[in-house]
Amino acid sequence: MGLSRRRFLVSSAGASAAALVAGCSNGDGGGKAVATGDTVVASPRYLPFHGIHQTGITSPVPASGLIAALDVVRADRSDLARMLRDLTDEIDGMMAGRAYPATDPRLPALQTGTLGEKPPPTDLSVVVSVGASMFDERFGLGSRKPRELVTMPFMANDKLDPDRSHGDLLLTITADSPDATIFALRQLLRRTRGHLVLRWMVDGFNRRSAPKPGQAQVRNLLGFKDGTANLDASEEGLMDEHVWVGDEDGEPAWALGGSYHVVRIIRMFVERWDRTSLTEQEAVIGREKYTGAPLDGRVETDVPDYDDDPKGKRTPLVAHIRLANPRTRATRKNLILRRGLSYSRGFDGNGNLDQGLAFACFQRSLEDGFMAVQRRLDGEPLEEYIQPQGGGFFFALPGVNRRDGWLGEQLLA
Amino acid sequence: MKRLASCTLVVAALVSAFSSCASDDGANVRGTSCGASSGSGSASGSGSGAGSGSCASSGSGISNQGSTDNVKVNEAVAAYDQWVRDQIDGLLEKTKVFTDAVRANDVAAAKAAFAPSRENWEAIEPIAGLVPDIDGAVDSRVDDFASVNDPKFTGWHRLEYLLWEKGTTDGGTPFADELDAELMKLKTEFAKVKLTPIAVAQGSAELIEEVSEGKITGEEDRYSHTDLWDFAANVAGAEKAFELLKPAVNAADADLAADLESDFDDIDAALAKYEEGEGYQSYEALSKADKGDMQAILGSLSENLAKVPGVLKLG
Repeated sequence: MGLSRRRFLVSSAGASAAALVAGCSNGDGGGKAVATGDTVVASPRYLPFHGIHQTGITSPVPASGLIAALDVVRADRSDLARMLRDLTDEIDGMMAGRAYPATDPRLPALQTGTLGEKPPPTDLSVVVSVGASMFDERFGLGSRKPRELVTMPFMANDKLDPDRSHGDLLLTITADSPDATIFALRQLLRRTRGHLVLRWMVDGFNRRSAPKPGQAQVRNLLGFKDGTANLDASEEGLMDEHVWVGDEDGEPAWALGGSYHVVRIIRMFVERWDRTSLTEQEAVIGREKYTGAPLDGRVETDVPDYDDDPKGKRTPLVAHIRLANPRTRATRKNLILRRGLSYSRGFDGNGNLDQGLAFACFQRSLEDGFMAVQRRLDGEPLEEYIQPQGGGFFFALPGVNRRDGWLGEQLLA
Repeated sequence: MKRLASCTLVVAALVSAFSSCASDDGANVRGTSCGASSGSGSASGSGSGAGSGSCASSGSGISNQGSTDNVKVNEAVAAYDQWVRDQIDGLLEKTKVFTDAVRANDVAAAKAAFAPSRENWEAIEPIAGLVPDIDGAVDSRVDDFASVNDPKFTGWHRLEYLLWEKGTTDGGTPFADELDAELMKLKTEFAKVKLTPIAVAQGSAELIEEVSEGKITGEEDRYSHTDLWDFAANVAGAEKAFELLKPAVNAADADLAADLESDFDDIDAALAKYEEGEGYQSYEALSKADKGDMQAILGSLSENLAKVPGVLKLG
């Protein structure tokens, strides 16, 4: 195993980057990354709004998130521009903790007050993304559609509810607690009431955790660590390689610095899962449940050696992590930045809990990223325990890099 | 709460009690300044002569306190006051057509008269709600009760249930009689009410809230699906108030007046698509896309109407 891993590192163009992709935080296979240890979580702060990319794509894993898909109605192109300016102004102000001016008390106040008179730092960020429908005939943006952006198709195992899928605009609001995301949602909706209507919404959470892959404290509702081999969002080189649309991608100029954004509302049949043997669960996922170690390793940060296990004796060939990331040179370009949220929204008509993962990922190419991964996962044994029920394909707008700029400015220019 | 300190004791007491304001339409959640608890009767009893009922226990969600020296506003209020009284006269007349049909056991005629009988009511509902208990007696919905058989489930929707769900007028006469009597009481009691500027301004906003909370979902007239009649009447009532207040709003905030005018134009146009005969198509005809548009227009209207009392320095 050690040999093969070294070979991997040496043969990769970006050696240090590859190590991080594979979830290795240091050279010895992760001795320091004791997954069960306490981690220090930074105090909440006001995250910067301005930048060439939207902040909330790469900021530390949020404890709380809210994803709202909206449709743009009764708007022409200039209404759309005004709406995006209003959104930008509100997002910028909220992220910066800008105080709302006091107004005549006979008028409705300018803010909900749910976080107090001056909203404290909450790590708030809002990512604004657009769906394929934004490029239909309504706004004359057809020629500006990102090359690969389409309405999310039905894929294997999907049972997409049209009422919980797609949308013109997606707001991803993340913060350190739900009151902060709800505050932001209400502020954004009241600023845009005349032109945006809610289409679907999901809110979710992650255990507050250290930001580095390989030290994942986050477990999804299947009880498995999620994010061990995720891209390290703090590594700019990795983000440039896998997440941000670059100028050699053949995308419209306005899209540079943006990212394809996939959301999948994946219901987990948790009752059935909970009565599945531990052995079966671990075989389905491809990791030990508690340590997070790959089935051929000892600790979470060990890199599975599939070359040494061609028949899948240790890690089944159809294990989720093996299909999702085969760790070959050819599949390196399929790496994506995942940023999901667990959700729980009551129970269904059968009395079964309605829980799951609001999966979200960002990538430079939809085809090389999510689509390639999803094609490999087609038919995986995990499908028996999960069901994608909604979500959509979006494009996260580039960031706002100048003082008076606004989200979508280049798109509408 | 600081601003309440300058109000009279009576107002302060009513306002502080808002959380207990019994409401059949959820109006209390908005925390407007109406506050008498159901059936106490003390609200109207302690109100000033001029303001009369002020906080109706039916939860109209609006206040009827205060005054202004803004001449434009006072002209609007006087005109709206007269318009409301005309609506009440029309209401009694059209409802009698409906209740007569119920009493005559004519299901078809009763069904035909149901939606028209509600139009004048829906146009003035929050204002009519200044008369205590009236809204609950004539316009409560089945969700306000544990069972459709609750004897307190009375009024239009009880009759609607009989006509559409049961296909009969059997057992309807007592409810028809009571509906007539309650509306007659409305006329008598409303004669003692003197409308205030805040009631007109808030009433206009409240009508649009009514639409957003019940008509857009089709839950108001769930048996007959005549929601769009109510919808249009709510809008007409709100628009009437705005038209009368427009000179005052325009003087105070011309942008707001323009925004409101365009919102009302948009909602009128959206509704016009569904006109049919003397009224409107079934709620079920409402397309999803149009529903989305309407939500956005109503949302914009609500945000803008909510500013009117403040812009006019009322309340």
